[in-house]
Amino acid sequence: MNRAANNITHESAVSHVTGKAVYVADMHVGEQMLTGKVVFSPYAHARIVSVDFTEALKVNGVVDILDFNRIPGINQLNPLVHDEPCLAVDKVNCIGQAILLIAAENEHAAIEAEKKIKISYDPLEPVLTIMQARENGTALAKTRKIETGNPEEGLLKADHILEGELKIGGQEHWYLETQSALSVPGENMEMMVYASSQNPSETQHVVSEVLGLQANQVVCEVKRMGGGFGGKETQANHVAAWSALLANASGRPVKIVLFRDDDQKFTGKRHPFEASYKLGFSKEGMIVSYILDLHADAGMATDLSMAILERALFHADSSYFIPNMRVTGTMWKTNLPSNTAFRGFGGPQGMVVIEHALDRVARFLGKDAAEIRYRNFYGLNDRNITHFGQLVENNRLFRLWDELIISSEYYKRRAEIRSFNQKHSFKKRGIALTPVKFGISFTTAFLNQAGALVNIYKDGTVLVNHGGTEMGQGLHTKIKQIAALEFGLPLEKINLSPTNTSKVPNTSPTAASSGTDLNGMAVKNAIDKVKIRLDSLAKHLLTDANTASGEVVYNDGLVFLSSNPDKTITFKELVINAHLSQISLSATGFYGTPGLHYDKEKGRGNPFHYFAFGMAVSDVEVDTLTGMSKILRADILHDAGQSINEDIDLGQVAGAFIQGVGWCTTETLRYNASGQLLNHSPDTYKIPGIGDVPNDFRVELLKNAPNSQTIRQSKAVGEPPFMLAFSVWLAIKDAVSAVANHSVEPDFALPANNETVLLSIEKLRISLKV
Amino acid sequence: MEKNILQFLLNDKLIEIDFLKEDFLPSTTVLNYLRMQPGFMGTKEGCAEGDCGACTVVLAEVQNGELTYKTIDSCLLFLASIHGKQLITVEHLAEINDQKIKLHPVQQAMVEHHGSQCGYCTPGFVMSMFGMYKNAAETDNEELTDAMAGNLCRCTGYKPIAEAAQACCKNPKPDKFSLQQVEIVKRLTQIRKHQSTLEISAPKQIYLLPSRLDEALGFREKYPVAVTINGATDTAIRQNKTHEFLPNILDLSAVEDIKHQKEGSAFFSLGAGTTLEQFKQFVKANFPGLMPMLKVFASLQIRNVATIGGNLSTASPIGDLIPLFFALKAEVKLSSRTDNRMIPVEEYITGYRKTSLRHDEILEAVQIPKPEKGLVFFTEKVSTRRDLDISTVSSTLRLRLNTDNFVEEIAIIYGGMAAQVKRAVAAEKYLLGKQWCFEEAERASKLICEDFTPISDARSNAEYRVAAAKNLLLKLYLKSVDNNEGLSL
Ligand SMILES: Cc1cc2nc3c(=O)[nH]c(=O)nc-3n(C[C@H](O)[C@H](O)[C@H](O)COP(=O)(O)OP(=O)(O)OC[C@H]3O[C@@H](n4cnc5c(N)ncnc54)[C@H](O)[C@@H]3O)c2cc1C
Ligand code: FES
Ligand code: FES
Repeated sequence: MNRAANNITHESAVSHVTGKAVYVADMHVGEQMLTGKVVFSPYAHARIVSVDFTEALKVNGVVDILDFNRIPGINQLNPLVHDEPCLAVDKVNCIGQAILLIAAENEHAAIEAEKKIKISYDPLEPVLTIMQARENGTALAKTRKIETGNPEEGLLKADHILEGELKIGGQEHWYLETQSALSVPGENMEMMVYASSQNPSETQHVVSEVLGLQANQVVCEVKRMGGGFGGKETQANHVAAWSALLANASGRPVKIVLFRDDDQKFTGKRHPFEASYKLGFSKEGMIVSYILDLHADAGMATDLSMAILERALFHADSSYFIPNMRVTGTMWKTNLPSNTAFRGFGGPQGMVVIEHALDRVARFLGKDAAEIRYRNFYGLNDRNITHFGQLVENNRLFRLWDELIISSEYYKRRAEIRSFNQKHSFKKRGIALTPVKFGISFTTAFLNQAGALVNIYKDGTVLVNHGGTEMGQGLHTKIKQIAALEFGLPLEKINLSPTNTSKVPNTSPTAASSGTDLNGMAVKNAIDKVKIRLDSLAKHLLTDANTASGEVVYNDGLVFLSSNPDKTITFKELVINAHLSQISLSATGFYGTPGLHYDKEKGRGNPFHYFAFGMAVSDVEVDTLTGMSKILRADILHDAGQSINEDIDLGQVAGAFIQGVGWCTTETLRYNASGQLLNHSPDTYKIPGIGDVPNDFRVELLKNAPNSQTIRQSKAVGEPPFMLAFSVWLAIKDAVSAVANHSVEPDFALPANNETVLLSIEKLRISLKV
Repeated sequence: MEKNILQFLLNDKLIEIDFLKEDFLPSTTVLNYLRMQPGFMGTKEGCAEGDCGACTVVLAEVQNGELTYKTIDSCLLFLASIHGKQLITVEHLAEINDQKIKLHPVQQAMVEHHGSQCGYCTPGFVMSMFGMYKNAAETDNEELTDAMAGNLCRCTGYKPIAEAAQACCKNPKPDKFSLQQVEIVKRLTQIRKHQSTLEISAPKQIYLLPSRLDEALGFREKYPVAVTINGATDTAIRQNKTHEFLPNILDLSAVEDIKHQKEGSAFFSLGAGTTLEQFKQFVKANFPGLMPMLKVFASLQIRNVATIGGNLSTASPIGDLIPLFFALKAEVKLSSRTDNRMIPVEEYITGYRKTSLRHDEILEAVQIPKPEKGLVFFTEKVSTRRDLDISTVSSTLRLRLNTDNFVEEIAIIYGGMAAQVKRAVAAEKYLLGKQWCFEEAERASKLICEDFTPISDARSNAEYRVAAAKNLLLKLYLKSVDNNEGLSL
């Protein structure tokens, strides 16, 4: 690996810090641009009796107001399962369903207009919880199942069985940049959409559908997002479609930027889950059998819920070999905004149950939970087949354990905590070590494909286009590094263009942590193609009577033959020569991950290209009088393969971990009885702040860990570290449990906010007194 | 005529706004104003309510002939309030010569430490760090993170940002702003000299910005319907979020006479315009037992403008200073053009967001009796997140024991437990005359339920509030006997 190119800073870093980086909200397309505003349903479930916007249309500055009748194409936001109307017709199925669209000269006029709109509703009984949905039987699809061995028999053979339930909360994405889109109408009905979307191809598709256009009439471009985290994988299509409808109707550019509270109230979140489980284990703490039943809240439409459920099932084993296992999962339809992708994509909800259960096993047996986990890790040579039949190859759990257990001083810290707890009655500390094994690939196999377009210009500079989108994860930076290395050019000679559907078509979303794996390969493929053309020219130019021809080498802006490194031409000279020789300097590239398959019916297959691993040790202090907690120290060791950019990967790990900590601690979604989200702004919905970062926070990447068959032997790193936050969640539980000297199993749920923690402690205190 | 014209420096450019000619209001937020200007899209909106810091700007103003730099959330800052000040935005930090960018040290540090991922929060962090850079007093790591508690980032996990701040803010060197300081002071002083008071009667809004107390009281009498504001951190939210239109605004933020912090023989007198940041320093010096409340009060951006007068006058059940002033037995000085009166803070607050302020009055100052010997004060706030969060419950204790350790005087005040800040009368009554010990505190804590029936809301369930409220009394007890388990996390 070229060290000089590693650890370069984010390609937009200077734009970021100088305020020059452009987001959709910052785009201006002249005086004519209109502000779009969406009128959302205030009812979770209701029939629309009447809609009257005649007065609103008279408001000065209002240009147009659209209802579903004015949709020229299909009234749909979901391109596959048509269950999400773009604008409500006669019924609303969640708070936040769009009913009308307003285009106005400015925001003020749009707000005034909204006040004058009269919509009358006939409210219906809403389904707002998983429990209600189960009572009403509103399953979204049939229950999914994966089974291995004989779970019932396994339970019979176990020395002990623990049964339990776990409630797992949802999570608001809280990307700093809210959903936004700007649509600019062109000639002949064409539409240009500047979106903040993780999935420009699908945005293009949805926009063309609602407008009744062909895909080749719509272009979607994404420069960057101010954070996505999965929240802009499908739901960015919504604002894009709404702005395009208004732009189409008014013939003027229309920008919609959701107000923070609206974004929080009306867009989907991480799926809340409810789990019940039975875990059979030996007296040594070895898992014998595990039966898990998951129920999740899909919200009002399908969105990505079934794929999310599937990933929850795939990750129900976490990092453990379980000989007998059955996991079932059901998605339930409710009258909440449709829940959607969020970093981890169901994986966290599937994993957390077994981590929780093993924590109970340890308490039950009076053993250290970390050791119970260790014993159950997938084996290196045996005990290495997952419940869906995939071989766990290149298992790095033991390497991670060996290094982390020492570097984190786990045993010393545990001993210190024990003595701290003996000396303190009101402050308790806890510690936990948790592993991550995360499958990389879209589990819908065909999505594992990517395209690229690489252009070399006559001045020897390169413009790279690819299907991935930049949301802060550093994808463009890594792609730039890859292109620079492949061409042997300095980074300044490479530029990345915004993601644009007219340059690279039919792309998959930038999701499933796969951005670099897929697009990096596609870019390399394009570069390889151009290089084949350039190679023969180079050989021709560099070979003379004295030299045997060798490999063509591209290095440091120079091109030479391996057999004769002294004779060089510059890359630029080669390019000019190629142009004069009528050789194309542009190529498309493509990549499809090989060997992926999964049979949903049988619950068997190889859905993943490989697994990423990680491990964390965290300790916390809990104030048992208030339930507030603080992370004292966290040590993370993560497997990013042969990292393309260590600093960017470390940033992903720290960021994902803290986001996970938010989900596990302070981020609580509170609804009232009519389905309104009560905490719909950062005033009451609390993501971690800088003060929540551990006082002592050590993040490392596993060294010397190349991954075979991926771009530059790297590993995907976007999602896996999210689940390292379980170490914090379980450390809190450990501290709570110390209140009763670990003799009683505490009540617990996720998130472990002050309320969960304090009420759990109060119960322990009562049980001690009785 | 002149009194209609707002003047300030936008970075180094003099801006004059005649609101009679503009179609935006004087109470347009600085954020919205900036984003209407070409080339000023660097300042971002993340929430429009002071909770994310993406909109952070720095305001420089002249104090004693020098510039002071304060970070402020521009989404809560009314444009007309920055008269005579320099508004510094992220676009102005770097120098650009011949197509080459020379980054400011804080920007350079952010780049080198990989402090940005999606970049949306970055301008705000850069401005917070720039504020620290210019106020080199904040040096230890805790102070650095405290100064960034008002900035949210969803991508980085803050680690690289904290490292960047540590690298650049600890030993700041003179920067381009140091070189321009004399010049800027001169220009700002000139604006003020020329016109220190504004009386803007724009077609849709009257905005009054007096610079002296007598002018303020005159305006109060002349415009009794005007909404009085100071830091506007509470009021701007009404405008941003419920789109409330405020036709008449009396802005006290430029009134020098209400910004004092004086120490007399029997009293401290604090002007109503004392900012929360100044109050924090005051509490640190005089009532250290009350510091836990100030440490976690909002964020630096808010504390730099929010005032004690504003906090008291919101009369909010979760106004964090109100319990402190109850405990301190503070009095407020309410002044009109013709007279003034002193009343105890407990009488100033009359109900849920209600005060006994008359339409011709403003709150001029708060008077705090110097504590008698033996009086001690403690406070504790519980919130979902420690920093930048509103109280779920708070508890504050005023206590005096006799030499035998019996309770001679006690007040226990709760925030967040009722429609207004309220004393725990039953617990107080029980404890008066009792031995000050854990067992008695525990018995008293059981009486909290007699005084309060809190509600469930967006922050917490009632059940939690009750449990936490009881325990807070124990926690205050532990603090009072110097048990380190009473310390805040
Ligand atoms: C992000 C954020 C975090 C916050 N965190 C906290 C917190 O932790 N704890 C807390 O208690 N509060 C908090 N607040 C609430 C509030 O903004 C502050 O309490 C602040 O002190 C109000 O002061 P101000 O000067 O900005 O008020 P303004 O908005 O200027 O005024 C508030 C009210 O007081 C009146 N008023 C102001 N000054 C006078 C005067 N001199 N005479 C008469 N009436 C006057 C106004 O008419 C108005 O009704 C927070 C607010 C925000 C936006
Ligand atoms: S926009 Fe969030 S603090 Fe101003
Ligand atoms: S870098 Fe994305 S929010 Fe901070």
